Amino acid sequence: MRPGQQLLLPVNPLFVWGSLLAALILNMLQNMGLWGRATWTPDLLAVVLVFWTVHQPLRVSIVVAFVSGLLMDVHQGALLGQHALAYTVLSYLAIAIQRRLLWFTVPSQAAQVLPLFAVAHAVELSARMLAGGNFPGFGVLIAPLLEAVLWPLASVLLLMPQRRAPDPDAHRPL
Amino acid sequence: MPLGTLNREPPPFFRQGPSALSKLAVCSAMAFLLMVADVRFKVMQPVRVAVAAALYPAQWLALQPINAVESISEYFASLNTAQEARDAAQNTRITQSLRVNQVEQLILENDRLRKLMGLRDRLQSLANPAQVIYDAADPYTRKVIIDKGMIHSIAKGSPVVDELGVVGQVTRVYPLVSEVTLLTDRDHAIPVLNTRTGARGVAFGDMTTHADAMELRYMAANADVAVGDLLTTSGVDGVYPPGLPVARIEKIERRVDTAFARVYCVPLAKVAGTGHVMVLEPLNTQIPPRPTPDPRPATGRNGATK
Repeated sequence: MRPGQQLLLPVNPLFVWGSLLAALILNMLQNMGLWGRATWTPDLLAVVLVFWTVHQPLRVSIVVAFVSGLLMDVHQGALLGQHALAYTVLSYLAIAIQRRLLWFTVPSQAAQVLPLFAVAHAVELSARMLAGGNFPGFGVLIAPLLEAVLWPLASVLLLMPQRRAPDPDAHRPL
Repeated sequence: MPLGTLNREPPPFFRQGPSALSKLAVCSAMAFLLMVADVRFKVMQPVRVAVAAALYPAQWLALQPINAVESISEYFASLNTAQEARDAAQNTRITQSLRVNQVEQLILENDRLRKLMGLRDRLQSLANPAQVIYDAADPYTRKVIIDKGMIHSIAKGSPVVDELGVVGQVTRVYPLVSEVTLLTDRDHAIPVLNTRTGARGVAFGDMTTHADAMELRYMAANADVAVGDLLTTSGVDGVYPPGLPVARIEKIERRVDTAFARVYCVPLAKVAGTGHVMVLEPLNTQIPPRPTPDPRPATGRNGATK
């Protein structure tokens, strides 16, 4: 454990699943309402998946990633299995680095998860290229960067319930 | 046991489940299997329908804020805009009404002439109005989602048109929504007729030149095509009713090194920002089935098989 870091409360499983579902819905919202068919949009579900795989590897693991990938595939009308494969690889890499990653500061963690997101997008792109699609444009290079930028935000938001005081009282709500 | 938490449960020492590497192997093998089954064998539609049905509540939830914002912005759109839109609509109606009256007469005349000559009646397509909900997020294809599905008896393969021309074709039908592949998708082909010359051809989606474009392929380098020619559906495919406007020719490149000219077209329908569309019933449900081919090999010249 990093020196000076706060001891966290045990995680609420409902919050983990709820945040995954919220990320899925936000992904849909990005597509349906905000940006339509854009290549550069950050995949929030991938960020949340990596986050929970790193912080709670016993709860969220590769099978969860695979299933949420399938959901994304069906929502996007994409090749069935494309996101499933990308998320599986992403989640495996996250498990591979999870023991090391939390010893670093949050900005340095973001720099270390950037290659993971890049690999996931590369897997997706190559699967589509092999299946005979055309290159969607260089926007795909921006998406992993944005996802890595969102890592510190995810670290703040998703750990918030665990950062509450262990003995709550009326004068200190958080 | 996660690092640095106050979790008091002991970590499971002995029941760790399968290793990450074996999970990776199994899950990626399954993903590959799904992809092959989807691309090569096209058997995953039932799975898609089941997952889409399960996913629909989440999609509905995600659509709510979008709909709310839209209705609020519509509410605050000024009276002026509404009046202008009404005036424009009235103008179009007046200019079109003249033509509509002529068309009525022409249809009548055409009917009589066809009866005189003993030809089959022109097929009428049943129309089903629908609304485009959103663009499918997949950036490798050009698809949109409309708000009519299996329960509205939308058939796979139905042509989709808007007020200006053909938009595309229904390629996947889910219980409550369906997926329309646009004309500009790379894998979408549509048989067309050049209204100036009467020459038939096939137009494909083309995303290489600019975002929403089409290409008229297999036109000989010396074929009679000109910039500005109107392409309509030819009706030979048994899907699209004949005479719907499809695209206009934008640019022609005749090169020395190929036998074909490169003909770029722009779709007439508002493919990118279309809102309301009509889903037509495909014609092949109305025409008689194809005759079974003659078992003995044909001698002489090869007839057209299509």
